[in-house]
Amino acid sequence: MYGVGMLYSFFLWRKGFWRDDWVVYSLLGCGLIFHTIAMAQRGFSLQQCPITNLYEATAFIMWTIVAGFLVVGLWPRLRFLGAFASPMLFVLGVFALIPDMDPPVVEGAHNFSGALGSLHKALLLLSFGAFGLSAVAAAMFLTQEHDLKLHKFRAILSMLPPLQRLESTMSRLLLVGFGLLTLGIGVSGAYHFQPGKTASLGDPMVVWILAVWIFYLVLLLMNWRHAQGGKRFAWGALGSFLFMMLTFWGAMLSHLQRF
Amino acid sequence: MSIVCLGLNHRTASVDIREQFALAESELPALLGKLCEATGASEAVILSTCNRVEIYAVTEDKPVDLISGLRNFMLNGREVPDEVFYEKTGAESVEHLFKVASGLDSMVIGETEILGQLKAAYQVSLGHKRTRGQLNKAFQKAFNVAKQIRTETNIQRGSVSVSSVAVELAGKIFDTLGERSVMVIGAGDTSEKTARALLSRGAENVLVSNRSFDRAETLARDLGGRAVPFDKWESEFADIDIIISSTSASHYVIDRRKLEPLQKLRQHRPLLIVDIAVPRDIEPEVNFLDDVYLYNIDDLQAIAEDYLLLRQEEVAKCEEIIRKKMLELLESLNTRSAPSRPEDSGDSASDVSAAVTPS
Repeated sequence: MYGVGMLYSFFLWRKGFWRDDWVVYSLLGCGLIFHTIAMAQRGFSLQQCPITNLYEATAFIMWTIVAGFLVVGLWPRLRFLGAFASPMLFVLGVFALIPDMDPPVVEGAHNFSGALGSLHKALLLLSFGAFGLSAVAAAMFLTQEHDLKLHKFRAILSMLPPLQRLESTMSRLLLVGFGLLTLGIGVSGAYHFQPGKTASLGDPMVVWILAVWIFYLVLLLMNWRHAQGGKRFAWGALGSFLFMMLTFWGAMLSHLQRF
Repeated sequence: MSIVCLGLNHRTASVDIREQFALAESELPALLGKLCEATGASEAVILSTCNRVEIYAVTEDKPVDLISGLRNFMLNGREVPDEVFYEKTGAESVEHLFKVASGLDSMVIGETEILGQLKAAYQVSLGHKRTRGQLNKAFQKAFNVAKQIRTETNIQRGSVSVSSVAVELAGKIFDTLGERSVMVIGAGDTSEKTARALLSRGAENVLVSNRSFDRAETLARDLGGRAVPFDKWESEFADIDIIISSTSASHYVIDRRKLEPLQKLRQHRPLLIVDIAVPRDIEPEVNFLDDVYLYNIDDLQAIAEDYLLLRQEEVAKCEEIIRKKMLELLESLNTRSAPSRPEDSGDSASDVSAAVTPS
């Protein structure tokens, strides 16, 4: 479904985003139903939130992006976000299907580690989804900004939202993501202070997650202090998410190898 | 019985000819009476706009005779080349009426002003009992077709004037035009129109700056804004979102070197600059600054022309609707004899059917 959405997005791109915004929205909506069923089945089989390996974590981030888009897309002018989200979802989905990303479950390896453990992982991945959606809005902003700068007729013909609305959408999604990330880190702290649990600042995952937190904090502060224009903010949101995803797998693999 | 149409428009007649034939609305009732007497037409509608003068009439005799009578009536002793007039009879005249109502025959394809003018012309004839079953049915159908074309095609999509393109651009940059401040530099006609268009879409604050302060004050008063001395407009820059510039200066009024530090004062909020001056007021390099969107008169006109091209692509779709509606009209007239208005009873369906059948 996400692949079909991506193919239709190319068509919308060529046509200039001025009609049929509901097609990608519907495709991603259908995709989310299957996605949810698959995740629920895996969750029931594991008896915990299905985020125990890279495949599951990537699938969870994708699910968050689609679910977030379906909510944001209720506003008609933001519905074309789907055309920008579906290529990203397709690439993430293909990556998640790479062999060895989803190793067979070893008995005892996925023992239920308590509600706090699942909650902290879920909050972190939900925040990544919000950051992903803000990156999608940033891609939309940069497209529209580029077309307006170059006086392309497509800029005026398209039904993409105005730049200011896209900028506020980006910053709101980043704020939501940052809030979830902060909450996830807080819950993580509580989880690791339980009796019998240990937390190490040397864990690559901990270092990585704190780096991501600082990265987004700086980005939000610069936007709040009007230290940068919309274009730079959009590049910041897009670049941060790409950097985060590219380093996420490395950090996660190092973390899994440690335990 | 047959509907005929005789007319001239912007394609067949230059403005000096069109102005000779233009008619004031107050003259129409008397002229309609004279026309029917002189030509023997049983029904008539006269449409007179700045781009066209047309007479739609119905005859029980040969359409050729009525056309000849209408031509003599319109000429009224004037001498113009034959090709100035176009003649339509039967289905062709109804098709032409549908096209006129839909704006397909207008200078700016898809414009809607003509529909209002056509309705007004029809109302004058209706009010003076110069229309009956044939023209009533044809005109009412024409209004329905125009409505359908407006809703089902893109023939009216987009802006085709410089001022409306500028407003549309503002809508692509700013979330809302409310609370936006507009600065007009140079009090020209086009800048005034653009400022008015922005105000009508919700822009709140207008500042006018002009070399002649008196003129700036006059325009500011008209627009409900405030005049700013020409040498002090930069001091107001921090609050400005849209600049419309149309001075007659021979050099750049705003250049990149001047604008770059001012942008920091504006905390990197987007700035739309519409430069409609020739020679240009704004240095083109300004467009390379982040959050600044510069459009000159050529850019705006190019967008307006692209919209016109888009509208022309829709013409085939509109003509298909018009043909379909004509057939529907014929069919309904053949199967139903009910008149379109109660007071119009007396005209049989076959009469109207004949009116839209090619002669």
